[in-house]
Amino acid sequence: MQLNGMRNYILLCTGLLISSMIYSQENGAGYKKRVLDATEVDFLSSYYKQDGNNASVTGGVGTEKLTDVTPTIVVSMPLNDDDVLTVDVGISTYTSASSSNLDPFDSSGASGGEEDEYDGSGKANGAITGSPWVASSGASFQDTWGNIGINYSHSSDDRNNVWGANASFSTEYDYTSIGFGGSYTRLFNEKNTEITLKGQVYLDTWSPRYPTELDSYVDAGSNLNNGFFDGVDILDQNGQIIDKSGNSGAIWSPVTGFELINNKSRNSYSLSVSLSQILSKNAQVSLFFDLVQQQGWLGNPMQRVYFGDRDNHYIGNAQNIPNYTSSSNTDVFQLADDIERLPNTRFKVPIGIRLNYFINETISLRTYYRYYFDSWGVNAHTANVEVPIKLTDRFTIYPTYRYYTQTAADYFAPFEQNLSTQQYYTSDFDLSKFNAHQYGMGVSYTDVFTKFKVWKLGLKSIDLRYNQYNRSTGLKANIISGGFKFVLD
Amino acid sequence: MKKLLIVMLIGGSLTSCVTVKEYEKVNINDPDMKLAAHPIERFEINFQVYREGASGGNGGKTGGGCGCN
Repeated sequence: MQLNGMRNYILLCTGLLISSMIYSQENGAGYKKRVLDATEVDFLSSYYKQDGNNASVTGGVGTEKLTDVTPTIVVSMPLNDDDVLTVDVGISTYTSASSSNLDPFDSSGASGGEEDEYDGSGKANGAITGSPWVASSGASFQDTWGNIGINYSHSSDDRNNVWGANASFSTEYDYTSIGFGGSYTRLFNEKNTEITLKGQVYLDTWSPRYPTELDSYVDAGSNLNNGFFDGVDILDQNGQIIDKSGNSGAIWSPVTGFELINNKSRNSYSLSVSLSQILSKNAQVSLFFDLVQQQGWLGNPMQRVYFGDRDNHYIGNAQNIPNYTSSSNTDVFQLADDIERLPNTRFKVPIGIRLNYFINETISLRTYYRYYFDSWGVNAHTANVEVPIKLTDRFTIYPTYRYYTQTAADYFAPFEQNLSTQQYYTSDFDLSKFNAHQYGMGVSYTDVFTKFKVWKLGLKSIDLRYNQYNRSTGLKANIISGGFKFVLD
Repeated sequence: MKKLLIVMLIGGSLTSCVTVKEYEKVNINDPDMKLAAHPIERFEINFQVYREGASGGNGGKTGGGCGCN
């Protein structure tokens, strides 16, 4: 009797265990793979260099030389089976000839000498000069952008729901940004289909810096015999020194009604939707679109505008005025009419598709297309193709090509072609009509066994990429990026 | 709006594709098949946001965070 009772008990337990296992398998709630097995540390960096002839700080003419280095560390930590915390810390330190010409009259720039500089005390000394084609070495010549971002994600037990939240803070000398957002991803159809909703907010603030002659004009109380302008000769288009009192002939001044910016905020709100679908054992696709609304000061207070319907005035060498737009001009600078003025709202919509195809064990195909339009009149197409080729089980190369084309913003016109009667204007060639070709090659080394160790970190992968970017406006850029991924033992 | 409707229509039709079982996803799960930019591409996307009028739709910034567009 006792034996029968024990047998029934064992049968009952076995039945319950099997039922439980079947239930668990059907619901995916049994064995649960960790979302992230171990802490991962990514050391990333890039070196970027560009040059061109349409600097926006100097109104659409002048050197665009710029270099930028961006060391970054990204640490992803599993908090438990379901939760991952990612911390992303990086800086971007750049030198820019264009930005340096916020104050083109710096002693180390075109003006050269020790006694002819504007020393920031409100008065310029001696015969100062400047040029949009020569970098100065003032405070705006170099800057460092710093950023910290934190992202938290939580996955449900069946891994069919993922919630995310993020916050970020970044700062540079004339700009700070606070960002936060959230996302929700739902997988279904046996994880063949995935929908993601994401919302993001950036609350940014300008600490505006202005072209020297414009804020000096305000500081001098609109008196050209005061402050920065005291003792400085101003030339007209013919190279003649003007009477700054205004008693005989026209004098230079910014555009009528000129004022520094009073709305220093720039806020961005975005909603992103994406749908991913596995099409076959070898193909998958993703469709996405963003809705972005920006509000606030959307121009850049550093960027000069010169109007075609106003008299031109200069500081520097009169003989070089006829060569002003040539790089041979090293010592004369045209005084600005205004900074760029743009609407205080902008609505942007990028719509895109990614399609990846696994051709065979050696070659895959990664494609990307985006159509973009916004309320400023910019329409753009972007197409990208990448062909990963596995050379060995550890080495893969990535030849890539990207094509980009855009129409001009409604408010863009080149140097001296905007009119003072317009409400909005810019000579920023990033908003002009152009197309761009980008060619690149990447190489990746992967060791899934992380045999190479540094302290407790095992090297998982190394990535290197090089890209060359050629824009139809003449701007050329090169960027080299590298990354080391380690896994904590 | 018309373009958005076309995208939604294509998206809806894709959900009628065959279902690939978990054990059949060996190729789909290859790291190079990931439907996102490579992490190291962040730097390229960043300079493109500065140098081009368009932004967003690629996991990068849609505006904000820097003095660019």
